[in-house]
Amino acid sequence: MNASTVTRQPASGRPVLLRWAPLLLLLAFAFALPLVVRSATYLHILILLLLYAYLTTSWNLVGGFAGVLPLGHAAFVGIGAYTSTVLSLQYGLSPWIGMILGGMISTIVGVLIGLPTFKMRGAYFALATIAFAEGLRVMVENLDRLGPFRLNGPRGLQIPPLEVGFGRLMFAEKEPYYYIILTMLVLAVGITWAVSRSKLGYCLAAGGEEPEAAQSLGINVARLKLIAMAISSFLTSLAGTFWAQFTLYIHPKSVMSLDISFEIAFIALIGGRGSIAGPLLGALLLRPVSDFSRIHFGDTLPGLHLVIFGVVLILVMLYQPRGLQEPLTRLYRRGMQRLFGTGEGG
Amino acid sequence: MRLLELHRVSKHFGGIRAVEDFSLEVQAGEIVGLIGPNGAGKSTLFNCVAGVFPPTSGEIVFQGKRIEGRKPWELCRLGIARTFQIVKPFASRTVLYNVTVGAFATTSRLAEAERRALAVLRTLHMEEKAHVRAANLTIADRKRLEIARALATRPRLLLLDEVMAGLRPTEVDEMVEVIRRLRDSGITFFVIEHIMRAVMALSDRIAVLHFGHKIAEGLPAEVARDDRVIKAYLGEDYGAA
Ligand SMILES: Nc1ncnc2c1ncn2[C@@H]1O[C@H](COP(=O)(O)OP(=O)(O)OP(=O)(O)O)[C@@H](O)[C@H]1O
Ligand SMILES: [Mg+2]
Repeated sequence: MNASTVTRQPASGRPVLLRWAPLLLLLAFAFALPLVVRSATYLHILILLLLYAYLTTSWNLVGGFAGVLPLGHAAFVGIGAYTSTVLSLQYGLSPWIGMILGGMISTIVGVLIGLPTFKMRGAYFALATIAFAEGLRVMVENLDRLGPFRLNGPRGLQIPPLEVGFGRLMFAEKEPYYYIILTMLVLAVGITWAVSRSKLGYCLAAGGEEPEAAQSLGINVARLKLIAMAISSFLTSLAGTFWAQFTLYIHPKSVMSLDISFEIAFIALIGGRGSIAGPLLGALLLRPVSDFSRIHFGDTLPGLHLVIFGVVLILVMLYQPRGLQEPLTRLYRRGMQRLFGTGEGG
Repeated sequence: MRLLELHRVSKHFGGIRAVEDFSLEVQAGEIVGLIGPNGAGKSTLFNCVAGVFPPTSGEIVFQGKRIEGRKPWELCRLGIARTFQIVKPFASRTVLYNVTVGAFATTSRLAEAERRALAVLRTLHMEEKAHVRAANLTIADRKRLEIARALATRPRLLLLDEVMAGLRPTEVDEMVEVIRRLRDSGITFFVIEHIMRAVMALSDRIAVLHFGHKIAEGLPAEVARDDRVIKAYLGEDYGAA
C-alpha cells in the first residue's frame, strides 16, 4: 500500500513569505466566511464540512501515514460524544473537560484495538476495526446504564440548552461552532504537518510502504503504528464532543454508525490519503454531495451519497490512485512557478 | 577483535535444511565474502543474523553479546545493517527520503538526518539522484540505494546481499572501491556476491556454502583452488563471471 506522495526538497532558502502566502490567504478566507454566509443552513453545512475535514485529517494520521485502513473510527466519535455528554448531564462537568477525558479513553481504546490488529494485513485489519466499532454501537444501543452512567440505549441523550456560553461549549448561534471546529481543524492540520516532517512521520510512512525494510533500518513498525493510532483516536474523539454539543442530541446511530467511518475513509481515499491536503480537498468535494443527497433524497433514497462516493472512488482509484490531491498539487505548484518563478516543486 | 561469531547455526524450514551447522568468525575491520550456488542458504544465513527469523539452533554473538532471536530493529540499533537481495525501496518516495529514514536510526532531527543522508549519497556518487522517486531508479541505482539506506544507520557491521548483481563492469569496480573505502573508515563487511571477480578482489576471507553446509573457508586464492569448491560451484560459474 502506498502512503503519501509528498516529494519534498530539503529545507533551503526559498522566499518564506511567498510559500506561506496562499495558505494564509486561505485561512483568512475561512475565518471571514461567516461574515458573508449569514444563512443558518449554509453555515450548518459548512460546519459539517469542517467537521469531516477534521475527522479525516485525524484519521489520516494512522490511515494515511501508517498505511493501514481503519474503518471503525466512528467508535472514537461515539466515545467522545458519550463521555462528555454523560459527564455534563449527570455531574455538570464542562464539556471541554469531558472532551479531554473522552479523548483519553479513546486513546486507550485505540491502543487496545491496535495491539492485536496491527499485526493483521490489509482487509483483515479493516474488518477487525469495523467489527469492533459495530460491536460497540450495538452494545450502547442495548445498554440503559453502564455502572453509574445513564446511556439510555437506542433513545440516546438529549442535552437541554440551559446554560449557553463558551465554558459550556454551547451557543445559540452557529458562528461560534464554526470558529471552534475551524480552530480544531487548523490544529489538526498543524499536527499532521509537524508529524510529516518528523522522525515519526518518516518512519511511519516507511513502515507502511515496506515494513521489512523499515524494520531493518531500526524502526519498530508496530510500536509507531500504535503511537499514530493513539494520536488519531484522541483527536477523533474530540470531534465527538463537538458534534454532541453542536446537535445537542446524540444516539448510537448518530455518533457511532458505520456511515461515519465509511464517509471518513471515502473522503480520505478520494482526496488522497497520506497527504496533508487530501482530507481537506476530499471533504470540500464530497461533503456537498452528502448534504445535497440527504436534503433531496433523504426520504426516497437514503444512503444515496454512499453509492455516489463508491462510484467516484472507483473512478479515482482507476485514474488517480493517489487521490485527487496529486494532480491538483501539481497544478498548484506549476501555477506558483509561473507566477513567481520560485523553485517550488518536486 | 571478533565482531561477529556464528556457532553451529542451523535454519530449517520444515523439511528443508537451508543452513546446517554453520560456524564462522568475522573480525572487526574485515571484509568476509560468502559464496555458493543458488539456493545454498546464503540469504537465509543473513536473515538469521539480521533477525528476520531466529536460527533453528546455534548461537550468534555480536560484540560479545548473544543476539539470536532479537528483532531486526533492535539489531539495527546495535549496529547491524543489511541490504535485501530483492530490493525493497520506499518506492513512492525520493532517494533522499529513503536514505533519511535510515539516518533517523541515529538522530531525531530532520535537518540533521537529511544532512547525513546527503553525505552518504555523496559517498556512493548518488547525490544528483537525491530528488528522484525511488520507483524510477534503474536496478543498479536501486542496489546502491539499498546500501545508502543501510549506511545511513551508521552500522558497525554491514551485510550486503548481492548488491553488484545488475551492475556494469565499470560500476562493479567502482562499488568495490567504495566498499574498500568504507571498510577503511571502520565498517566491517559480510558480503554475499555472485560476481567472482568482485568477491575475489574484495574479500579478506571467503566462506563457501553448498546445500546449507560450509564446504570451505580461507583466503580468496585458497578457496579458488579448493577441489570441493571447484566441483560444487566454481566449475560451472567461474569462467562465466
Ligand atoms: N522463508 C522461507 N521459507 C521456506 N523456505 C525458504 C525460505 N527462505 C529460503 N528458503 C529455502 O531455503 C533454501 C536456501 O535459500 P536462500 O535464499 O538462503 O539461498 P541463497 O543461497 O541466498 O540463493 P541465491 O543465490 O539464489 O540467492 C532454498 O531452498 C529456499 O527455497
Ligand atoms: Mg540469496
